[in-house]
Amino acid sequence: MSGIVNSDIVYSYIPVAVFLVVALLMPPMTMLIVKLLSPRSTGAEKYSTYESGSVPTGPARIQFNVEYYLYAIAFVLFDIEVLFLYPWAMIYRGNTGVDTTVAVVEMLVFIFVLLFGYAFLWKKGALKWMKN
Amino acid sequence: MVDLMLLAPEIIIALTGLIVLMIGIFMGSSSKNVLGYIATAGFLAALAMVIGNFSASALMFSDTLSVDPLSQFFKLVFLVVALIVSVASIKYTEDNTDTEIFYALVLFATFGMMFVASANDLMVLFVAFELASIATYALAGFEKKNPRSVEASMKYLLMGALSAALLLMGISFVYGATGTTSIPGIAQNMEVLTSNAIGLLAIVLLIAGFGFKIALVPFHMWAPDTYQGSPSVVSALLAAGSKKMAFVAAFKVFIVALLAIQADWRMAFAVLSVVTMTYGNVVALSQRSVKRMLAYSSVAQAGYISMAFVVLTPMALTGGILYTLAHGFMKAGAFIATAAVVYMVIKEKRDTEIPDHLDNFKGLGKKMPITALCLTVFVLALAGIPPTAGYMSKFILFSSTIQSGMVWLAVIAILNSALSLYYYARLVRYMYAMPHEGEKVSEPVPYVAALLISLVGVLAIGLWPEPFVEIAMQAASVLVGGM
Repeated sequence: MSGIVNSDIVYSYIPVAVFLVVALLMPPMTMLIVKLLSPRSTGAEKYSTYESGSVPTGPARIQFNVEYYLYAIAFVLFDIEVLFLYPWAMIYRGNTGVDTTVAVVEMLVFIFVLLFGYAFLWKKGALKWMKN
Repeated sequence: MVDLMLLAPEIIIALTGLIVLMIGIFMGSSSKNVLGYIATAGFLAALAMVIGNFSASALMFSDTLSVDPLSQFFKLVFLVVALIVSVASIKYTEDNTDTEIFYALVLFATFGMMFVASANDLMVLFVAFELASIATYALAGFEKKNPRSVEASMKYLLMGALSAALLLMGISFVYGATGTTSIPGIAQNMEVLTSNAIGLLAIVLLIAGFGFKIALVPFHMWAPDTYQGSPSVVSALLAAGSKKMAFVAAFKVFIVALLAIQADWRMAFAVLSVVTMTYGNVVALSQRSVKRMLAYSSVAQAGYISMAFVVLTPMALTGGILYTLAHGFMKAGAFIATAAVVYMVIKEKRDTEIPDHLDNFKGLGKKMPITALCLTVFVLALAGIPPTAGYMSKFILFSSTIQSGMVWLAVIAILNSALSLYYYARLVRYMYAMPHEGEKVSEPVPYVAALLISLVGVLAIGLWPEPFVEIAMQAASVLVGGM
């Protein structure tokens, strides 16, 4: 137990602890100050929905198409794929010999597998907007 | 690159998964039945490659993968279970529009489990663990229109995500203290973990992380709901396959990497093992849904296998490892038998909310003779009646427990086995001593084939145990090497 308590690692976290305490105190403090200082109004307008200044139309809870979600998921997948390519390119840049061949083949396998996913999405119609 | 031959089973499974997925989406639902045969062929080919290279020993990819008798043994377990599931699913996915997704997920889950078996690095182990988990989350909810299946999937996903987080937290503490994620590397740098409390914290988090997948009490809450709600073929994969994946991962992490702090985790496993087997068996007594009963019995069986962690002698580890193979056959077979019964219930359009209710097993001996006979053998094997696989593995495990002086643990385990006989025998009584309703049902060939594969496995280990004990001993010697 003493091993942890006496180590420098714990002391290096003191700024984090200070930050945590300040972060915990800040919101109640500001809310208290606002409550004490700000003027209050009780008009009916105050309780209407805020829509950037214009008169609100329709209910706030509407249904939107699930296609957004599929697009987002597909985007994230291929985004991450590109993210992997950067460190791969940086690490093997300038290397010659067997290492690079293996690296290229492995990356091609990786992209190839993801292409299958892309073909699957396409064929299943996940990329088609408003399928009816 | 020469060693790539040793990775052939994994490559075959991954390629089969991609092929099934790709040709499946260009097919009409009527011709999709062929996908099951392709997947089955893939499993058979991979199984042949594993058996062909059984005593291989090699390190691959900068020592992150290790092919050794332990990994080969567990690959055998996963592939056999996947084969049984795949054969049975030919009937289950008949005329389904999403057959290719089902088989691709089964193949990818198996791929992940096989990588866990040969992982030699905690990061590889975690990624492979998640690959298998994510595929099985989707499989549990395969019946999208069935609220029970969706509930099963949702519970499994939430619990699985929590357990993955705990596991990763445990891994990060181990990494923080030892400075490496390599499993043999951790064993070499153990002095840091033995001298301070981080080791204890890591053990607690790792036991919780693996305990969820193994379904040790008190981490078992998801198991009954998930096993009951999932399609029966998927329950077979979960109970017989994915649970064993967590066992092999725990064997590697605790017995190889964290052996130096065994005093801490042996005690924890002793308590968990006793609580798990007792709770599982006692709660199973009152279940009316057969799948739920099998789920609780599966919890209890996990308790028996965990005894290997407590006794920790080479013989006990052999028993525990053999038990995983035996349990794979018994449990997969038992769930496939309930799949056949659920098929019968749906075919007869019986008005029942729980298709696997005990009442639907009445007179099964007359209605579906092969299914009833196989299920009888499986449940008797689960109870540990000779000459079955369950008896052999329990015998080795319990006798090694007594040899090492832990008589109290062996007594609790044997009392539990006796207790479990009650609910297994009740199922047999329902099948043979109760009158049946309706006509004799012709049993679908894929289910019968899957049942017979399991039956052969259960009886082979029971009647001719030598070769199986031999390979289990080889697998155990990989773990004992570090002691």
